[in-house]
Amino acid sequence: MTTMKSTAPSAALPLGARLQKLGREIIRLRWAYFFVAPFFLLYLVFGFFPQLFSLFLGFTQWKGLGPITFVGLANYEVIFRDKVFWQAMANSVIIFFMHVPLMLFLALVLAVVLNSKRVRGLPFFRLVYFLPYITNKIAAGRTFGLLFSSDRQGLMNYFLSLFGIAAVPWMDNIWTARIVLCLLIMWAWVGYNMILMLAGLQTINPELTEAAMIDGASAPQAFFQITIPLMQPILLFCLVMSVMGTFNLFSEVYTLTAGGGPMNATLTPIIYIYNKAFGDFRLGYASAVSYVYFIFIFVVTLLQFRYVSRED
Amino acid sequence: MTRHHTLQRLVAITMFVVIAVSACATPTAAPQTPIVITQVVQQTQIVQQQVVVTPTAVPQGPKPKGEITIWMWKAAEDPIKNSGVEAAFNKEYPDIKLNWVTYGTNDVYQKLPLALSAGTGAPDVALVEDSNLAPFVYLGGLSDLSDRVKTYQTQMNKYKWDTAMKDGKYYAMPWDSGPVVLYYRRDVFKAAGLSDNPDDVSKLISTWDDYLKVCQTIKDKTGVPCFMSNKANNDARLYEMMLWQQGLGYYSPDGKVTIDSADNVATLEKLGEFWKAGLLSDEASWGDPWYARFKSLDITNTVATHVEAAWMGGNYKTWIAAEAAGKWGVAQMPTMKAGQARSSNDGGSSFVIPDQSKNKDAAWAFVEFITARVSSQNKIFAYADIFPSFEPAYDDALFSEPDSYFAGESVRQYYLNASKIVPTGYVYGQYYSDMHGKVQTAIQKFSTGAASAADALKEAADAVRTDTGLK
Repeated sequence: MTTMKSTAPSAALPLGARLQKLGREIIRLRWAYFFVAPFFLLYLVFGFFPQLFSLFLGFTQWKGLGPITFVGLANYEVIFRDKVFWQAMANSVIIFFMHVPLMLFLALVLAVVLNSKRVRGLPFFRLVYFLPYITNKIAAGRTFGLLFSSDRQGLMNYFLSLFGIAAVPWMDNIWTARIVLCLLIMWAWVGYNMILMLAGLQTINPELTEAAMIDGASAPQAFFQITIPLMQPILLFCLVMSVMGTFNLFSEVYTLTAGGGPMNATLTPIIYIYNKAFGDFRLGYASAVSYVYFIFIFVVTLLQFRYVSRED
Repeated sequence: MTRHHTLQRLVAITMFVVIAVSACATPTAAPQTPIVITQVVQQTQIVQQQVVVTPTAVPQGPKPKGEITIWMWKAAEDPIKNSGVEAAFNKEYPDIKLNWVTYGTNDVYQKLPLALSAGTGAPDVALVEDSNLAPFVYLGGLSDLSDRVKTYQTQMNKYKWDTAMKDGKYYAMPWDSGPVVLYYRRDVFKAAGLSDNPDDVSKLISTWDDYLKVCQTIKDKTGVPCFMSNKANNDARLYEMMLWQQGLGYYSPDGKVTIDSADNVATLEKLGEFWKAGLLSDEASWGDPWYARFKSLDITNTVATHVEAAWMGGNYKTWIAAEAAGKWGVAQMPTMKAGQARSSNDGGSSFVIPDQSKNKDAAWAFVEFITARVSSQNKIFAYADIFPSFEPAYDDALFSEPDSYFAGESVRQYYLNASKIVPTGYVYGQYYSDMHGKVQTAIQKFSTGAASAADALKEAADAVRTDTGLK
């Protein structure tokens, strides 16, 4: 970044001189380049190359071994008729609306509570809320599977049975399975969002709220009129991360609902891509799907940024 | 203001408790591992068996040596080790060092294609379930075993070769088969006033229509469900056995998709009659509630029957329902139409040798020793009910021995008779993963009432046609 900044004013110079200057800058900052190089080298091999290669694979049929057959746009044409893929996309939208608004609200409330100077043991609570986020998602998925086991041995059904409620077959019903999945995601991610929001809250001058309260604003008014607007960049960031997080769900679904059941109700695009590539050995098609999916996420993220910055 | 803090504290504490409680609920038991075919974990009953060692092919030339790596799941590895077959191998091939790598079945299916594709990292020998075999054979990267298996072509269950071949070449060596029988609870049949004699039960339930009637009787007299079949997460395995029994499947011999054929639709509708009559119990396969019914001694909590392969008997006696010894019986499976073969296949496994193996001779020596030796096959069969695909093994007293777990019935005779008449099925194949997944969803939609059998299967078939390019 420094190089770009320093070369920018010299745009009027002839090309040779500009390159010379750039070279000098690179030599001057050689240690900086040296230290950032490992990331870029690894990214080139494990990130950039696979991305380009899968763009190419999207136009082919390939099992991962043997001949690569060029098929033009055939894969992309199939995607638009692929009901299961579009169901996976729809699932993600449904699951997103089922949990993200509630999760972000909870995270914000928690952050505000923990931001209060009167709560003692802040590091302890912060750690506790953050723990689920760093807990292995496979273990969490398995545990939720046991908690919500369909029979009476599941803790949740045992709990319900104490009140005389019949055992709920959580994983055998489209909506209950989605609810359990949402509970798992919220449990795992509320702490992460809370930490981000707590960091955001700590940058807000408390005098603003205090001044408003002196002027007669109630606590909820101060929260909604002052805190939330000032938190908007953080909220946007959390929202964008949650959109991607929901569409990218993998481990949770893989362990909790055996990869998308019942009846594909919890199937996510990433699980679908994985199944096509490594279950059916259809790497060409899976690559095409990942590009369609990438464009979708890219556009949604772009819209989110546009929408929120216009609000400002 | 004070009230405000109290509220804040209350919220913080409540949230803390909620999260702490859920965080504390880490699994105390090991997570359930998906259990797949030929799976027998422990052995409680070791059948002492004198087996005459009659090597069918004496290896010629210098014996191979070196180290070979073997990928296999525990339920297959343990019987080889614990039945003394490994020791026998080491004695015969002292210069081959076996490097065992224990993987779950799914781990094998995830790692093997990557290793084959990468051209490095594959083992010398891998065990693959038959359902997953054809996709690997068509993927490539396996050695052509045509010359090596030539001797055994006519000695293995014929249908086992169907998924091991591509373009007339052989890429796998069969180990075990999954001939299907009808398991039934003797105590339930008696309580319903029916005979619990295997021959009588075979006669009584000779078609799926008989099966429905008998189950209705059992339900009326005892309230016990006919069998377990989960609706929303149905695994399609029973449906596949029903198709295979009729010589049907997901594709025709000339490679057309038959998922929505009239026969397939009729088969699913037959299964639907059981649901409609309220005869089935909804436990999902391979979960604790499912095991609980198999092992329950109290007949009100058990299940009357279960259609499954020979390896299931081993599962019952060793770990699923050891406590229900003497309660189970084995009869012939029912057919869709009278007069059809009373047999099908579910599961079974075969060995492959990846092309990148540097020691194929040693790898083959191992594979051959396990699969094509009467003594090895029968030691393992006696130990864990892994039914030999190798037919010369059948000529053994072991096959007529009474089995105390099954109330002294000679169940191996039933397995054997079923194995001899398994029709050619078109269930497993190179597109199995895709077809199986879509048919599962179709059955789930049908059983939960979201679609008719014809519509659900049509949707699955069309999707498979789009995916595979088959007609």
